[in-house]
Amino acid sequence: MKRTHPSPTRRSLLKAAALAAGLGIGVVGVAQAQDKAPIQFATLMDFTRVYTFLTSEYSQGQQDYIKLVNMEGGVDGRPIKLIIKDHASYPERGIAQYNEARSDGAVFFDFLSTPVANALMPRANEDHLPMIAFAHGRADAADGQKFPYVFPAAAIYRSQAALLLQFIDEHEGGLKGKKIAFVHIDSPFGKEPIELLNKVSALKGFELKLFPYPVPGTEQAATWTEVRRYRPDKVIIWGAGPGQAVSIRGAVGNGIAPKDIHSVIWLSESDMQSFTGDTVVGLKRFTAVNTGTSPAILKRIVDKVITPGQGSGDKAKVGTTYYNIGVASMAIAVEAARLATKKLGAPLTGEKLKQGFEMLKDFTAEGLMPPLTITDKDHQGGGWGRVSEWDGKQWAPKSDWSHAFQDVVWQLIREDEAKAKK
Amino acid sequence: MFYRLSGVYHTRYSATRQLWPIPADRWQIGAVAVLALAAPLYMSDLYLSSYLLPWLIFSAATLALTLLMGLAGQLHFGFGAVMAIGAYTSIHLARAGVPFELALLAAGLMAALIGCLFGAAALRVKGLYLVMATLAMQFLVDWVIVNVNAISGGAVATLQTPQVSYLFVPVASLTARYYLALLWAAIVTLLVLNIKRTSFGRALVAVRDKDFAAAVIGVNIFKYKLLAFFTSSFLGGVTGSILAFCFYQAVTPSQFNFDVTIQLVAMALVGGLGSVIGGFLGAGFVLLAPIVLLNLIARMTDAGWLNVSTTLMAHIPLMLYGAMIIGFLLFEPLGLAKIYDNARKYFLVWPFRHTQS
Repeated sequence: MKRTHPSPTRRSLLKAAALAAGLGIGVVGVAQAQDKAPIQFATLMDFTRVYTFLTSEYSQGQQDYIKLVNMEGGVDGRPIKLIIKDHASYPERGIAQYNEARSDGAVFFDFLSTPVANALMPRANEDHLPMIAFAHGRADAADGQKFPYVFPAAAIYRSQAALLLQFIDEHEGGLKGKKIAFVHIDSPFGKEPIELLNKVSALKGFELKLFPYPVPGTEQAATWTEVRRYRPDKVIIWGAGPGQAVSIRGAVGNGIAPKDIHSVIWLSESDMQSFTGDTVVGLKRFTAVNTGTSPAILKRIVDKVITPGQGSGDKAKVGTTYYNIGVASMAIAVEAARLATKKLGAPLTGEKLKQGFEMLKDFTAEGLMPPLTITDKDHQGGGWGRVSEWDGKQWAPKSDWSHAFQDVVWQLIREDEAKAKK
Repeated sequence: MFYRLSGVYHTRYSATRQLWPIPADRWQIGAVAVLALAAPLYMSDLYLSSYLLPWLIFSAATLALTLLMGLAGQLHFGFGAVMAIGAYTSIHLARAGVPFELALLAAGLMAALIGCLFGAAALRVKGLYLVMATLAMQFLVDWVIVNVNAISGGAVATLQTPQVSYLFVPVASLTARYYLALLWAAIVTLLVLNIKRTSFGRALVAVRDKDFAAAVIGVNIFKYKLLAFFTSSFLGGVTGSILAFCFYQAVTPSQFNFDVTIQLVAMALVGGLGSVIGGFLGAGFVLLAPIVLLNLIARMTDAGWLNVSTTLMAHIPLMLYGAMIIGFLLFEPLGLAKIYDNARKYFLVWPFRHTQS
C-alpha cells in the first residue's frame, strides 16, 4: 500500500514543536486520593528572607514530630507527608505554592508569614482547606464564624498583651497609676495590641505611652532615649527577629531594669545568647508552649527520632522555644486529623479536618501546652499562655497557665468586624 | 528562510512604518495572541492562576516602568508605591459603590497625580539623586498607608476586594480575571509600542540621551519629563489596581513595599531597559525563575537525589537564581530582550552570516 506523506517543512516542524511546548505546560497530573495514601500537609514558609529567625527551628520541630507520628503508625494507618517550600514571604509566590499544593491534594496549610497568611486566608475559606496561623496573623481570624477555615489555635497578639498586663497587675504590684511604655515596631503587627492596651488602661487606670520604631527594627536608638525621658515603670516590647535584641540592648542601655521588660512571644534562646553574663536576667516573655525537653512528647521525639540520628536539624535546637512551637502546631493538626478520621471516617478532606479542629477539647499535647479547646466560634482556643522569665540559660515559667481580658479581646474583634462591614 | 524577507515590498510609508513590517513577526505575534486567548481552554487552573496571571500583570507593571526608565531615562525607585496608590484608590472607591471602570480610571489618575508631584523632583535632579527622591516617595507612601487607618483598613490592615464587574462581566471567576489582566496587558503593550514611534516617544528618547541637548533642539523638557511621569504612573496605578482585583483579591501594605519596587526594577533591567518584549521576558524571569527552580530542587530532594537540610534546600534556588542573573548579564549586558534580538537577527538573514543592523 502506498501512503503519501507530505514532507514536513522545517517551519511546520518548528510550529508543531512550539505548539507542543505550549500545551505541555498545561498538562498536570491529578493526584488521586487513595486509601492508605499519605495525608499531605503543606508547610509553605519563609526560610530565606524575613522570618529566618524563626522558620528553621520551627520547621525542624514540625518535621521531627511528623517523623515520630509516622514511626508510631501515622493517622489511622496513613502516614503524613509534609510539603515544605520556601515562599520568602512574597504573597505571589505563596499563592502559587498554595495552588500547587492544593492540586497535589494537601489538606492542611501553614504559612508562618503574616503577609502570605493574610493573602491566603480568604482563599483557604473558599476552598474549604484549613490553615493554622499559630499565634500570628490577623486578629479576626480568631472568629470561627467569619473565617471558618483559619485557626490561630493559640493566643492571638491581643491576648498575649492582655496576659502580660494581667501578670504586671497580679505579680508586679498592680497596674493602677503605673507608667507603661509600649515600644513597638511600626507595622500592622506592632500596632495590633494598641487598641487593647488603651481599653485595659482605661479599665485599670494606668498611663500608657506608645514608642514606635521604624521597620525593620535594627535602628532604635532615638526611640529609646525618648523612653528614658518618659521614665516608665514597666516596658512592653513588641517586635520580632533581630529587632528584639536591639530593643533589649536599647532598654538596658537606657537604665531600664531587665525585670521591668516584658516581651511578645517572639523572643528565643538564640536572641538571648547575644547577651553575656546576667545583664538580661529577669526579663519576662509571653509563652504559649513550654520550652525544654521535659514534656512527654519531647521525650519521645528525643528517644525515637533524635537519638537514633533521624533528626532533621541541629540537635542543640531541640527543645528551644521555636522548635517546641513547631511541635505544638503539628501536634494540634495531627490530633485534629485523628479526631476527624475517627469520627467522620477516611479519607480526610478539608471539611472533615476543619471539624476535627473544632472537636479539640482540653488538648495539651502531653503537657506541652495549655489546655486547648476550639469551638466553631472560638478558633483561638481561649487565649491561654503564661509568663516566663529568662534566668540566664533558659525561660523559666513564672506563672501558671491562664488567660486575661478575653471579654475585651472579643469586643475588639467584633468592633473590627463591624468596621470592615461598612 | 524563516523570515522570508525576499518578496516583501513596501510601497507606502504606512506599510514600512507599521508595528510589525515583516510577515514572520506578525505570524509569531498572532500565534502568541491565540495561545494567550485560548489559555483557559488548555491550561490547568493552577498554571493559569499562579503563573500566567501574575506574569501578565507584572509584565504590564514592568512596561509602565520601562516607559519611564528605559524610554525617558528617569530612574524610578518608588514604583511599588505608585501601584499601591492605584490599588488603594480603586479598592476604596469600589467599596463606596463607584463602578469598577471609573474606579480603575480614578486609580490611574490618582497615581499619576501623586507620581507627578514626586516626578517634579526630576526637573531638578538626575540619576542617582532622582533615585533618592523617588525612594523617598516609596517610604512616604508606605508610611502613610500603614499609619492612616482609613487607608489601610485598621489594625488588621487587609482590605478584601468587593465584588465588581467590568463592562457587565463580573470579575470573579478565574477566567474573567485572566481575560481582564490579558486585556490590560495588551493595551499597555500596544500603547508602549506605539509611543515609541510617535513624536512623544522620540521626545522622551531625546530627553533621555541628553536633556539640555533636547532643549536646544526645541523639546520642552519640563513638559516631557512630567508627561513621562504622568503616563507611566497612570499605567502603574491601573496595574496596581488590576493586581489587587485580579490576582491578590485583597490589598495589604506588604504587597507594594520596597521589595516589590526592587523586583520591578530588576524585571526592567534583566529584561532590557526600554524594550517591550524585554518587559515580558524580565517579568517572567524574575517572577517565575525562583518558583521553577524551587520546584525543581524540591522534586530532586523528594526523589532522593539531593540530601540536604530544609534550610539549605530553600537557599539553593536563590544561589542558582543569582548565578543565572549574573550569567545572563555577563553574556548579554543589555538584557534578555537583546538575546532575543540577536537570535532574531541571526535568523533574519540565515543561512548567511551578516546581519543588517
